[in-house]
Amino acid sequence: MTGELSQAVEAAQAGDEEAFRFLYRSLQPGLLRYLTALVGADAEDVASETWLQVARDLPRFTGGEFRAWVVTIARNRAMDHLRRQRRRPALSVPVQELSELAGDADTAERAGESIGTEAALAMIASLPPREAEAVLLRAVVGLDAETAGRVLGRRAGAVRTAAHRGLRRLALLLDQRAEEETAAESPGPPPRPRTGPSQPAPHAEPVDG
Amino acid sequence: MILRRLGRSGATRSGADQLLDGARGPRNATPAADSPDRLAGLLRAAAAPAREPELAGEEAALAAFRAARQAAPAGPAPRPRRRPFTTGAVVWIAGVAATATAGAALAAVRLDRPDQPSVPPPVPVTVSPTPAPTGAGARPNGIGTSPSVGVTGLPDGVDGPSASGAGPVGGEPAATSPAPTPGLGEPDPDATVQVGPGNSSNTADRAGHCRAYLSKSERQREKALQTPAFNELVVAAGGAEHVLAYCQQLLTEVDPAWLAKHGPTPAPSATGDATS
Repeated sequence: MTGELSQAVEAAQAGDEEAFRFLYRSLQPGLLRYLTALVGADAEDVASETWLQVARDLPRFTGGEFRAWVVTIARNRAMDHLRRQRRRPALSVPVQELSELAGDADTAERAGESIGTEAALAMIASLPPREAEAVLLRAVVGLDAETAGRVLGRRAGAVRTAAHRGLRRLALLLDQRAEEETAAESPGPPPRPRTGPSQPAPHAEPVDG
Repeated sequence: MILRRLGRSGATRSGADQLLDGARGPRNATPAADSPDRLAGLLRAAAAPAREPELAGEEAALAAFRAARQAAPAGPAPRPRRRPFTTGAVVWIAGVAATATAGAALAAVRLDRPDQPSVPPPVPVTVSPTPAPTGAGARPNGIGTSPSVGVTGLPDGVDGPSASGAGPVGGEPAATSPAPTPGLGEPDPDATVQVGPGNSSNTADRAGHCRAYLSKSERQREKALQTPAFNELVVAAGGAEHVLAYCQQLLTEVDPAWLAKHGPTPAPSATGDATS
């Protein structure tokens, strides 16, 4: 994977457009998901700014972890964006919205997972920013703790701790969801069909508590 | 429950790392034995393969790549600052080159002139002054394309050398540019009649033509001058009857050695001497 990536980087530096396309396809999904946690709906704009800069500065990339280089550019762009907007890099998704997203059975089925990509990302984004960033860089972008630490300007140990805390918090959230599901299924007369993304409001209330 | 499992064992850290690392791994890879499945599932979902809308910006990114490539061969100097200078310089060079060649053409015609005062060769004379402005005007247009690349690509794209590279490069075409222009833009009827379609006032070509012409026998020469290949030469000489003199004069300047070997043509050289 990394060998493939660095080959593609070299080819792109030599002007190979298909190699650049490969780089884009390899990195963009993780990048966009990470940026969504940072800047929310503006993530696509920031991502395209990022690729603009990547395309321009590619000749000056001198080796090392290409993903880390791109993510660093993306993060700087996101911070600029937030500074412009005078917002803090926290995306607090209302829990109610989360539980609605958790019902997007379509994505979940397609991915062969118990939970959809959107819902999973929204749950991660609901973590405290440091933890969310650490989890996303490690699990979604695919950086190791050292590299993620360089991107974030923190020590690898701090990244590990943040990621670990984030995972515990996510586990807690999942537990709550599971309990709530079983609670809803056993005593309640009509087992709620979890088909549509728009769950009725009552479903959200126990999550809040 | 999951939390407890995650927090209980001494290997929690590494367990967490395994979870995080496993998120992007192959789907069927079994996560760490004691890893909570639901958490692993969540991370895998978060790291799921690209979905179509996420790659919507692909063409834009590739366009940026192409634009950057086009602007790239240059180095890192701010273009906006240099452009005025280079355009100015190129216009200048073009102007100088046009004037210089015009002068040469003028001189060449003058040398032939005394021969035949009443012949059409005003063509080169009247034409050459005009190319100077047109040639100069054409240059900036050619340059205008390269800045436009920078504009589409990157706002702060900085590529001086490409712009400055146009300077030296522009100098060479500028020298030839005055020649094509008469054919293109001159409404002069004489010019349209006499000037062939693909003529360039390249002196080296003329010398070549002259050698070819002088190599022929007297009879062949007459025929040859009626072919399009020698049309240019006729125009340059100012008429078919002056080609011989013109060529000898040209070759004495350009290639006297050849002339000495091949050009024992007494009669024309006599007229040439007489005139000059």
